[in-house]
Amino acid sequence: MAPPTVTPTAPAAWVAAQLRGWAATDGERLIFVGRSAFAAFLALWMAFRLGLDSPGTAMTTTFILALPSSGMVLEKAFYRLLGTVVGCSAALVLIALFPQQAPVLLVGLAVWVGLCTAGAAMHRNQQSYSFVLAGYTACMIAVPALDNPSGVFAAAVTRATEVGLGVIVAAIVHDVLFPRAHGRQVQRTVQTRYEGFLAFCRQVLEQRLSPEQTELTHLRYAADIAALESGRAAAFFETGHARSHTRRLHAFNGAFMTALTTFYTLHRLLHRANATSPVHALVAPLHALLAGALADPRGGNLEELPAALAQPAAAARAALAALAQAPGQTRAAIIDGETAIELAERFAGHLAAFAAIYHGLTQQKRLQVSEPQAYTPKTPPGIVLASGVRAALALLGAATLWYWLAWGQLAMSLVMTTVFCALASSSPRPTAMVKQVLTGFLIATPLTLATEFLLVIRASGFPMLVLAALPLFALALWLMTDPKRAGIGIGMAMFSSQFVAPVNLMHYDAAGVANGMLAQMAGVVLAYAIFTVVLPEHTMGNRDHVRAALWREALNACRQRLAGDGRKLRHRFDNRVRDLLSQLNAAAGPTPPVATRAVVREGLTLLELGHAVIELRTLLAASRDGAVRDALQTVLRRLAAYLRAPVTGTNADAVAALLDAGIVIRAGLADPACDPVRAERLHTVLADLHAIYTSLLDQAAPTTEPVASSGAPHAA
Amino acid sequence: MPRELSVLGILIPTILPVFFASLLLQGALDWVLSHAGVYRRLWHPALARLCLLVCIFGGLTAWLYR
Repeated sequence: MAPPTVTPTAPAAWVAAQLRGWAATDGERLIFVGRSAFAAFLALWMAFRLGLDSPGTAMTTTFILALPSSGMVLEKAFYRLLGTVVGCSAALVLIALFPQQAPVLLVGLAVWVGLCTAGAAMHRNQQSYSFVLAGYTACMIAVPALDNPSGVFAAAVTRATEVGLGVIVAAIVHDVLFPRAHGRQVQRTVQTRYEGFLAFCRQVLEQRLSPEQTELTHLRYAADIAALESGRAAAFFETGHARSHTRRLHAFNGAFMTALTTFYTLHRLLHRANATSPVHALVAPLHALLAGALADPRGGNLEELPAALAQPAAAARAALAALAQAPGQTRAAIIDGETAIELAERFAGHLAAFAAIYHGLTQQKRLQVSEPQAYTPKTPPGIVLASGVRAALALLGAATLWYWLAWGQLAMSLVMTTVFCALASSSPRPTAMVKQVLTGFLIATPLTLATEFLLVIRASGFPMLVLAALPLFALALWLMTDPKRAGIGIGMAMFSSQFVAPVNLMHYDAAGVANGMLAQMAGVVLAYAIFTVVLPEHTMGNRDHVRAALWREALNACRQRLAGDGRKLRHRFDNRVRDLLSQLNAAAGPTPPVATRAVVREGLTLLELGHAVIELRTLLAASRDGAVRDALQTVLRRLAAYLRAPVTGTNADAVAALLDAGIVIRAGLADPACDPVRAERLHTVLADLHAIYTSLLDQAAPTTEPVASSGAPHAA
Repeated sequence: MPRELSVLGILIPTILPVFFASLLLQGALDWVLSHAGVYRRLWHPALARLCLLVCIFGGLTAWLYR
């Protein structure tokens, strides 16, 4: 018999690989379940030990804070504490202002909840959660205190204490017991992004991507930028996350956006230039150089790229100058060529800066970053308003039912309606979220009843209680680890922890529990109904709202005050456009429909236009008075008018102003008194005007305008 | 030190402001340590941070209940 060729270490290696695979997937999930269950029972035990009034709240808090990584838990814990304290204070103030006047108090509460929910819509991630919590905590405390205003202070203190206990326990357990650091995940994201972006640029330069694919990639990158920012915010709470790291991550995101925008502009320009245009032949050596530098997966020599590009760029410029003398070339083609060379150079510079920041991040080098600006989110005001109004109406509707029907249990429904209206407002698909939670409630109902009246009732002492309640909680936590069923798991955990959680003086009242369950479910159903009926189109990431907001941002680029070299304005503009696109992405899901892609295309064109306008304005701010200045100011005015009211007439006006300005600048260039510095600036202005012109033609394309479609060689 | 503080007629256990003070102190220490890169050399940085907090809070409480 032939001896087996397998070496003795192979089976061991196989087992080790299998174990590693298991540890990376199911092992992680099991650890999460164990950690979260430990936190829940530890909080419950401590609440009993300290003799708190409703130990269940502390346990529910630990379930709400059960998130995969320690940074996320610490962040949510911090903001939950903040929101609870603010909400408790608001409840005290409201009760003190309107004691024993239920209708007025309820109106006051509705206004407060509306304001908080609107605030939540303006922020992202856990900051938004803090606002939501401030709203519904006030409701939770003030509503039961209506009949008994003297007890409101005790209720507020109890709530704050319980939540505080839950927050501390959850934060410590998730941070210390087999923690999963978020910082490492952020580091991985940074690396993936860097390599992905280099590959994307290479593919585009080699013309292997269709325009649709490119648009989708831009949409994904917008979501990615927002995700990195939220990851950074979570990692901030972990140990070893230095302040300088935050600055570097901000710089990384900023440099990425700049490089992406320049690259998009370059790509669009080449895409627009037709096959006969000399532009392609001119920039081909530059592209070959860029693609060659990008081909190295580690991107080692990117930082020397601008220097390497200088000579071919000069050669291309000389070739272009020779071409300009030759007959048969349109002015547009010449300007296209100039712009393409300039953009390629600029892109090389931005890429080098991006690579330098990336290497600083991965090698923990000290890097002088000139005060990078933070990512600032932007929600369209229509959506903010709608969220606030919806939450306020939901509270008023539920309160009216409760107050006039005088049905005690409905107080619970009222609170649940408010909670879910507020929570789901910051979600792009609120009805789907509420439905998942409701499914969780439905699954939890029989399980909770069985656990409570078959197991917990027989338990004597805390260890037995843990044994009785553990299966149900473990199931809920296991569901929470599955991204597709996370909502169901959260619903189950919230629901069952409220009813299973024993109180200090245990009493088993099946009818009372059933009533409470029905009331809670009725509240969630009411929240669902409100989302489908009241302003159903005005939710986060709605296409029309995002589209309008994109136009407003472009208008702001024309009108907002410009300080210094315009870096701040450019950053803010870039940032907000990307944030709007990321909202669009979140609402559209994995396969965006055609209408969404049209908005993305429009947004990217406006991004290009806005950048050209900002550059034009910085040049204008430094210029002397004269014919050129007047012409450019007319352009800006007309452009603002167009962006305010994007119709055919204003578009034609703006295009006419652009053409006039082009003539004036050409005259300025021909002037013998024009020194080289001024000539260079005028060339940049021409390139910007050209970018604006092409963007305007893109916008006007669907309406087929006579001026735009004539294809006449324009003067710019 | 009194065991309870009266703020606008509301009695607050002194241990609560002490806890917040220790959080602040720990935050300052945390900043210094992460700046010096100490946390990168530790096996379990989060545990070390928690132990620091316990030490600070314990020390302040011991001083309070002396």
